[in-house]
Amino acid sequence: MRVKVKPLECTGCALCELACGYHRDEAFSMISSSVMLYRAEEKKGYMGVIVKTAEDLFIGKPEGAAAMKLGELQKEGASGGASAKPILVREACDMCESAGLEPQCVAICPQKALYLE
Amino acid sequence: MRRNLPSESAVPGVMGVVMDFMYYGDILVVDLEAGTTEEVEIDEAWEAGPVLPAALELFDKHAQDDPLLFGSGILTGTTAPASCLGFALGASPITGGPAVAPLNLFAGAEMKLSGFSMVLIKGNSPGPVYLWLHDGVADLVDASRITGKDTWQTCDAVRDEMGEQLIQVISIGPVGEAKSDLASFSINYWGSGDNAALGALMGAKNLKAVALRGLGMIDAEDPEEFYNRTMGLLPGLPSEKSFDWAFEGLGEGGLDAWLGPLVHRYRSCFACPCACNTFVKYNEDPAVMGSDGVQEPGLMVTNPAAALWLGQGGWSPEGASRAMEAMARAGVDVVRGSREISAEPLEAPGEIAAAVEALTGPAEAAWPPGEGPAEGGIFGPWTPPSSSGDRWLEVNRAAYVLGVCPLFLAASGVEREDLLELCVPAAGIKLDAGGIKEMFDRARA
Repeated sequence: MRVKVKPLECTGCALCELACGYHRDEAFSMISSSVMLYRAEEKKGYMGVIVKTAEDLFIGKPEGAAAMKLGELQKEGASGGASAKPILVREACDMCESAGLEPQCVAICPQKALYLE
Repeated sequence: MRRNLPSESAVPGVMGVVMDFMYYGDILVVDLEAGTTEEVEIDEAWEAGPVLPAALELFDKHAQDDPLLFGSGILTGTTAPASCLGFALGASPITGGPAVAPLNLFAGAEMKLSGFSMVLIKGNSPGPVYLWLHDGVADLVDASRITGKDTWQTCDAVRDEMGEQLIQVISIGPVGEAKSDLASFSINYWGSGDNAALGALMGAKNLKAVALRGLGMIDAEDPEEFYNRTMGLLPGLPSEKSFDWAFEGLGEGGLDAWLGPLVHRYRSCFACPCACNTFVKYNEDPAVMGSDGVQEPGLMVTNPAAALWLGQGGWSPEGASRAMEAMARAGVDVVRGSREISAEPLEAPGEIAAAVEALTGPAEAAWPPGEGPAEGGIFGPWTPPSSSGDRWLEVNRAAYVLGVCPLFLAASGVEREDLLELCVPAAGIKLDAGGIKEMFDRARA
C-alpha cells in the first residue's frame, strides 16, 4: 500500500503539502512535506505531484504517473523539483503511521487526486 | 525568525490584542525615497492585530507618505478552506480613498510565509526598484533593466534573477508605469483583482514589483484542535472545478461551455477545495498535456467577470482569451478593460493588441453599486457580487480578516461561523460578524 496520484484530477491547491507539513512539524509550511506539487512551469499550465518514499519517487505528471527509483534519479542528476528544498532531500513518506492516522495528504485532497493502492 | 510567545487570552474582536500565533516576523517599513528598510516590532508599534483593519489604521497614520501596504488574514496559509487571501491596500487613484485588492493564487500564502507580518511601503523611489521579500529578508533591487517590460517578462526576469521559479511576483506593466487609472498589478502572469488601480500607485512609486517567497512556518495556538477542525470542515464543502458553480453564466451552458473548446485544466488558489481558475490554450491544442511544446500556450483565466463582459459582448472565447492575455501582460485591469472593449468583438491578434494598447475610459467602470467611489467603499468588484452591495461588503470584511477567499465565502455554502470559530485554536481570538464590522468602523472612523 502506498500513496499514488491521479495527476489530471489535481487542481494544485497544495492542501496535501500543508497536511504533510503539519504531520511533520505541527505547524504550517511548504518545505518539509514528503509530497510536493510540481508547479515550476506555471506559464504553460503544467503541473504535477511528487510523493517521496524511502525507495522511490511516485511522479504524477500530466502525461502519466509512474514510480522511479531514487538511485536512477540521482544518477540522472535530478533534483526533484524547483522548490528551494527539493523533494530528494526531504523525509520519506511514512504513511502517517507515526501519528497513528491514515495518510493525511489522501484524507485532505478535495479532488481525490491522491489515493492509496 | 519564528516567534512563539505566550498568547493573550481570548477576547472579542482583535483590536488592541497582540497576536502571537498565525504570524511570525515583524512589520517591515520600506522607505522608497531613502531606499531603506526597517523592521518594527509588532508588540511596540502595532497592537491592533495584523489584519486589514489594522492596516487601515496604519494607512491613516502614514497618509502623508502615500502608503501601500501588503498583508494577510488570520487563517491565510493554513489548512482552513480557501485560506489563500492576502491583501494590498493603498490610496486608489479612482476613489481617492483607501482601496483593497486581493492577493490570491499563491501570493497571499507566500506573503504570510515571507517572514513579515505586514509590509508598509512609504514614499516614492527616485529610480525603478522591486522589493524582494524572502525568509525574513527584505531587499530593494534595481529594476532599471525591467523597466518598460510587460508583467510576463517581469515575472520571468525576477524569477530568473533570484533563481527560483516558485517566487510569487506582484508586478506592473507599462500601463502601471504610465500611472493610468486603468492600471492593475498582475500576480505572476495572470490578471489580479486589483480593480482600484493600485498598479498605478505602484507606478507612481517607481515600484515595478513585489516578489515573495517564504520558507517559514505558521504556528497555531492549539495546532491539533485547529487542524482537526479544518479537516472536519472539508467533507461538507464543494470541490467544484470551473466557474459556473459560483457565477451566473452566459445563459445556457454558462461560462464553462463558452470557454469549453479551449479548456486545458482547472486550477485552485492556495488551499481552496474549488478550482475557479481555468487554464485555456489557444496557441496549442488544449489536449496536449506535456510541457515540451509551445512555451506560451495560453492563459489562466482568473477574472470570470472579465470573461463575462467579453462573452456577453459577442467575443469568441479565443479572441476574448487573447484580449485578457494582452491586458494581463500590459498591466491593465482585466475586468475594467474587458468592459471597455466588450462592445466591439475582435479576432485578429494584431487588432486585439491594438485595442488593448489604446484602452482608455471611465476608470470607475464596473465598480459594484453601493460600494463605489461616492460611498467611499474599499472593496472592488474582483468577482461579481452574488447578491446585494451590503452582503458583498459584509462578505469582504469577514474574508479579509480571516484570509479566506470572498467568493468561496459567498458561494460555497460554508458556515461563516465555523471559519470564525477557527480563530480560537488558531490565535486565541473570538470573532463574530458584529465584532468584525466594529473593527472596520473603528479603523475607518
